[in-house]
Amino acid sequence: MASLKTYYEELGRAFHSKPADLKKCQAVLPKLKIGLIEAGLLLPQGDVNLGDLSVARDILEIGAYVSIRSKDIPSFDRYFSQLQTFYIDYSESLPPSKREYPIRGLHLIRLLTQNRIADFHTTLESLDADVIAENPYIKHPVNLERWLMEGSYSKVWGAREEAPSEEYKFFVDSLMGTIRNEIASCEETAYESLPLKDAATLLFFSNQSEVVTFAQQRGWQVDLTAGTITFKLKDEEKMEIPKQRLIAASLAYARELEQIV
Amino acid sequence: MPDVEMKPADVKPVKETEEKKEESKPAPLSPLAEIKSNVVLIDRAVTTLEPRFTHRVLRTLTALRKRIDNSVLRNAVESLYPKDHSIKKTLLAWLPTGPSSSDQAMDVDSSARPSHHELVPEAEIYLRLLILYHLLASEDTQEKALELANQTAEKMQAINRRSMDAIAAKIWYAVDRAYELAGELSDARPMFLAAQRTASLRHDDEAQAALINCLLRSYINYNLYDQADKLVSKTTFPPSASNSQFSRYHYYLGRIRAVQLNYTEAHTNLQQAIRRAPPAKTAPGFYQEVHKYFVVVELLMGDIPDRSLFRHVVLEKALNAYFEIVKAVRTGSLAQFQSTLSKHAAQFEEDHTYTLIIRLRQNVIKTGIRRLSLSYSRISLRDICVKLHLDSEEDAEYIVGKAIRDGVIEGRIVHEKGWMECGTQKNAYGPEVSEVFGRRIAFCLDLHNQSVKAMRYPLNAHRKELAAAEGAREREKELAKEIQDGDLDDEDLGPDF
Repeated sequence: MASLKTYYEELGRAFHSKPADLKKCQAVLPKLKIGLIEAGLLLPQGDVNLGDLSVARDILEIGAYVSIRSKDIPSFDRYFSQLQTFYIDYSESLPPSKREYPIRGLHLIRLLTQNRIADFHTTLESLDADVIAENPYIKHPVNLERWLMEGSYSKVWGAREEAPSEEYKFFVDSLMGTIRNEIASCEETAYESLPLKDAATLLFFSNQSEVVTFAQQRGWQVDLTAGTITFKLKDEEKMEIPKQRLIAASLAYARELEQIV
Repeated sequence: MPDVEMKPADVKPVKETEEKKEESKPAPLSPLAEIKSNVVLIDRAVTTLEPRFTHRVLRTLTALRKRIDNSVLRNAVESLYPKDHSIKKTLLAWLPTGPSSSDQAMDVDSSARPSHHELVPEAEIYLRLLILYHLLASEDTQEKALELANQTAEKMQAINRRSMDAIAAKIWYAVDRAYELAGELSDARPMFLAAQRTASLRHDDEAQAALINCLLRSYINYNLYDQADKLVSKTTFPPSASNSQFSRYHYYLGRIRAVQLNYTEAHTNLQQAIRRAPPAKTAPGFYQEVHKYFVVVELLMGDIPDRSLFRHVVLEKALNAYFEIVKAVRTGSLAQFQSTLSKHAAQFEEDHTYTLIIRLRQNVIKTGIRRLSLSYSRISLRDICVKLHLDSEEDAEYIVGKAIRDGVIEGRIVHEKGWMECGTQKNAYGPEVSEVFGRRIAFCLDLHNQSVKAMRYPLNAHRKELAAAEGAREREKELAKEIQDGDLDDEDLGPDF
């Protein structure tokens, strides 16, 4: 326990120093986690000292932040699922943490960037309606999701600088990648051809060469002299009568009818 | 909210058996007599190993529950158990003493005592169930109910008899209810999980079904959809469960799937819940609740619910707010949608449908675009923007692009000219029609086969028939013999004439 305390203080110092000493944090965290497991606090069960619990929560929250800052997303996921116990099961006995909503919001954004919309909504459902409407950390991802779903991509693009906390910006790049792909797949079906310049604005690229590389990745035909992109027309699906299936179905009906009569 | 909503769900007076009706037609049995006859039936069920009788008793539970009071229960316990029986004392301890009970009990006691022998434990649990329901009914005895519920659950697990399974399922439901009324639903979860494991190991289908539903209810009550989903994926709902349990299960499943954006599955589940639910008039709360979700899910799928639904006697009032939402979605007007949403926000939040309804926003836009694409062959993005109240032309372009990709409309955008050209609608008649037809036929055939399988025949009835056939054959033989003999007789008779 004593060593746990010194490590905890060490972690606090490293995390709160400006700029935060990520390396130090990463070195101390595993030791702290082992300490937590030994003290039975990583996955607390039954009645545990509340003071210990909030320390454990603090450690895990710092861990979550550190893993985001060092761009270690799987590790963030782990911290988040460990924190769930503290946020849900002990929500009544523990004093609320001021880092809870930022971390939840980060988790929501992370689900968005991976296009895991179903998980996004399941997570969202566990929050109160007024928290969703009022809390800036939660409102941000909720708005992003709404705009993504209805297709107001320019609003998403516009909101990328309005992130409520520093950590949200770590996700901006991958989020932009997600919308670019979305927009691209829309363009493929909605347009026959598009001038390069306009394609660049639609896809939020600042210069044409980026558009050209992006177009090549998606297999679009770029006509550099005319300055247009042509999208491959989807072949009209051929209508074919599924003979085999129809025959099988009719035979099955006949057999069943035979059984009834 | 779920308290009120689900309460009628257990009020599932499944159609009473013919016998029961005949019984109650001449003179409706007094609750006391009914309890006694039920105990006899349970006894018979246990001794003949025929769970049918227990089921019959449990079917009358709802109707009976409303008619019992303290004195009825006291009298029942007094008369069923001999004077100094230990069970009698423990059972009576749960009932408040009434002034009139003692002398009444005496009369009944003397008349009933000679007939009974030692009662099976199932009967005791049944009486406990009745007392439990009675305690749950009024607010001041709810604490007591929780205590009794815990004790009964322990006792039930200690006795551990398979013939008790059907009653046990009801007890579990009552336990769940007791915890919920006490506001400690999450505390009961470990106990339910353990009981569910045991029930599934013992192939105790009824208790398993009841327990899975209790757990789902508890998870959903705390908005833990993730865990509810995990529970669903890790368990199999017993196919032999009763309709009411199935109906509830489908309802919970529908809610989980709706949250997960799996609207098609949510729709089928809610539909099943409606179909399996008892008639609207007997369980209006459940009926309304399911329909609320049903309407929202149907809207999310891009369909417009049937108008007749909103004229249904039971639903008309409850679904009023939803009807206005439907109107807004149908016209594709974002402004109307927003105003309806804010007007009824409190109700939607109470119904737990608020987050689902917020998702409808995109559907409103899509419907709007579809309407435009149907009425115009070419429309400028600026006009779309104005008509749908969108913020900018840029947005309109993305939104239309997305609508085209998602297959909401057929058409193209001509960026240089800044307009949308709408294509012709696809011919709806194709191979998928035969597919749908095939699916429906398969459903009908399956229904037919299931009902053939579900027919019940009285035991050993074919023996009688066999005996009858045997007898007929015997007679035939005799007849043949007689005829043969008759030939002789004729000759014998001859001289007499």
